[in-house]
Amino acid sequence: MSTDTSTPTATSSTAHLTAFSLSATIRRVPVQLWVAYGLTLVCLLVLGFSTDNGFSPDRLLRILSNAVPLGVVAIAQTIVIINRGLDLSVGPIMNTAGILTALLSATPGATLATTVPIVLLVGAAIGLVNGLMLAFTKIPPLLGTLATATVIQGIYSLITRGQPKGSVPAELRELADGRIAGSPFSGSLLIWIVLLVVVGLVLSRSVAGRRFQAVGANPRASWLSGVPVRSHTITAYVASGMLAAIAGILLIAYSGAPSLTAADSYALNSVVAAVIGGAALAGGTGSMVGTFAGVAVLAFLTTVLNSFNISSPVQLIINGAVLIAMLFVNSRIAGKRNR
Amino acid sequence: MSNLTAPNYTGQPADRRALGFLSTTALRSIGNARFLWAVPVVVIVIAAVVLPAFRSPISVNSLLATLAPIVIIAIGQAIVVMYGGIDLSVGAVAGLGTVVLALGPVIPGGAAGALVFSVIAGLVVGILNGLGVLAGINPLLMTFAMAGVVQGTALLLQGIPESAAPMDLIDVVGTSIGPVPLLAILAVVLLVAAWFWLSQSRTGRVVQAAGFDARIAGRLGFPIRRTTIMVYGLSGALSALGGLAIVARTYTADALVGASSVIDSIATVLVAGIVITGGVGSLLSILPAAVIIAVVGQIITLTGTDAYYQTIFKGVLLVAAMGIYQLAGRRMRMPWRLSRPAIDRPALAESTSTETPAAKDGDR
Repeated sequence: MSTDTSTPTATSSTAHLTAFSLSATIRRVPVQLWVAYGLTLVCLLVLGFSTDNGFSPDRLLRILSNAVPLGVVAIAQTIVIINRGLDLSVGPIMNTAGILTALLSATPGATLATTVPIVLLVGAAIGLVNGLMLAFTKIPPLLGTLATATVIQGIYSLITRGQPKGSVPAELRELADGRIAGSPFSGSLLIWIVLLVVVGLVLSRSVAGRRFQAVGANPRASWLSGVPVRSHTITAYVASGMLAAIAGILLIAYSGAPSLTAADSYALNSVVAAVIGGAALAGGTGSMVGTFAGVAVLAFLTTVLNSFNISSPVQLIINGAVLIAMLFVNSRIAGKRNR
Repeated sequence: MSNLTAPNYTGQPADRRALGFLSTTALRSIGNARFLWAVPVVVIVIAAVVLPAFRSPISVNSLLATLAPIVIIAIGQAIVVMYGGIDLSVGAVAGLGTVVLALGPVIPGGAAGALVFSVIAGLVVGILNGLGVLAGINPLLMTFAMAGVVQGTALLLQGIPESAAPMDLIDVVGTSIGPVPLLAILAVVLLVAAWFWLSQSRTGRVVQAAGFDARIAGRLGFPIRRTTIMVYGLSGALSALGGLAIVARTYTADALVGASSVIDSIATVLVAGIVITGGVGSLLSILPAAVIIAVVGQIITLTGTDAYYQTIFKGVLLVAAMGIYQLAGRRMRMPWRLSRPAIDRPALAESTSTETPAAKDGDR
């Protein structure tokens, strides 16, 4: 539970206290976060020194802005992982959201104000199916969501006949490409940051959020102390479905065309981001601060690899190897703590 | 001694006498799977009656050719699941196997060498998975990450010029005896061998025990480390072999050839009633489970139904299998936990009358 004290807000709010409490706060930052931010720093340095003018804030923000779909879906994955789950259906939900947005936008009289709520509802509905299935049966989350993912893929392939149609509205494109009022921030980057802060604060500061983490850390103890476990599981997957739908919309805002397969890699990458950020599959741990670092590491790493002209198969190998290395480090840290 | 073969004792006296070398567990699990065997039989009979094309030798041949890779890869997956793990890298390893096989013209040893190398490649990936799991990494994530590494490697190797699927080798491996492909026979032989190994050998029992409760198995001094590496290594090697079986059907070596293998193998294992938490189930049930998946695929092809329905079917099947076994859970959960003792102690058998087993039957 010490994860929560590691948020920047906590650090800054204790800054006016004595130096002793500040060092105590620092000591309570989990090792995983140090590792995650250390890795971010390394990637940032490599990224900066690999090209001229590599540290320009505009460039860094652009890189982060391109990683927003991954960032949003990583929030979804972190929420589910805190709940001792895993959601492999986020990729297909993102695809569904993209296809549906393009399809609905092409109908006459459609605006973003009508399209987006429908898409979010569909995402939430898929999440609800996941949540109900996993809360009321003993099906392992991995397999349950894998099954949902397969079914969703089948359904949207069947409906679109392999050829997604429709158009991406210009306002949506502007969200990813444009800059807000001359600032280097794009609209989608702002959405991501707002989501990170809101979800992070709710998880670490509100009673409901603390309860949510408690359920993930020890469902049985939570149940015995009167916390409903099932409703929290359902909440986790509904939130995940909805966030994945947002990520899907942001992805087509960035790519400009709906696709049947564009988001397939996001299931793995979102788990990687959450794990780099210190989320443990055993549940209960994981924070938005860590997940941000995880996404930043992946985004910087991809950019570095791209700038060195490394082919996508090698990138796949490097991503997998980084995940294995991080899993190894985290399992060592966890083992040391349990001893 | 007469108690051992007493009629009405196990309910399967003839089986016990004929298959006396098998453990009670193995016999129990066969008996438990009788409903599972009925499903593909019913589906096949209905399909054969309704669809004349289904009965043709060509259709039977292609059905069995589809069945072979599903069964071979599912054996590896089942062994890992019995051990309480899971292997999400089977699809990528199958792809790697085909790509390495296509390296025949490039590497020394030719096509035969490539065949050996591709199985070794699968074995190595599996051993790496096993080492990762031993290091304390969650098997799910370990094999998930490994799938990425393996797929990347396979895509790289695929780019090597002059590599080509060895047609002469495929023609040899892909031969059929009547309508039955050689590979389908190999798959069934492998299945029976794996079942025998897992249910009868000492190592197989360690796999089951550790799958049921790894902590207790470790405290009992079972060789957990060796077994972990063996289990994942076997799965890797069998996946590569499954990839070869796919090539024999499609004639193309491709890194993405095993894309559907992950869901296929997991669905097969779950339909076969092998409990996902490990230790419980019978490998022999893989056959009817794989037949269900292959036959439905064949029906979808023959009737010209959209292939996407097959994807939906697999997903639904996965959930349905888990749901049904959970509902039927109490009896399927522990096939070896007998309601009657497997072997009566002689003293007990003498002191109790013959009504006692009958009374226990009544209790059930």
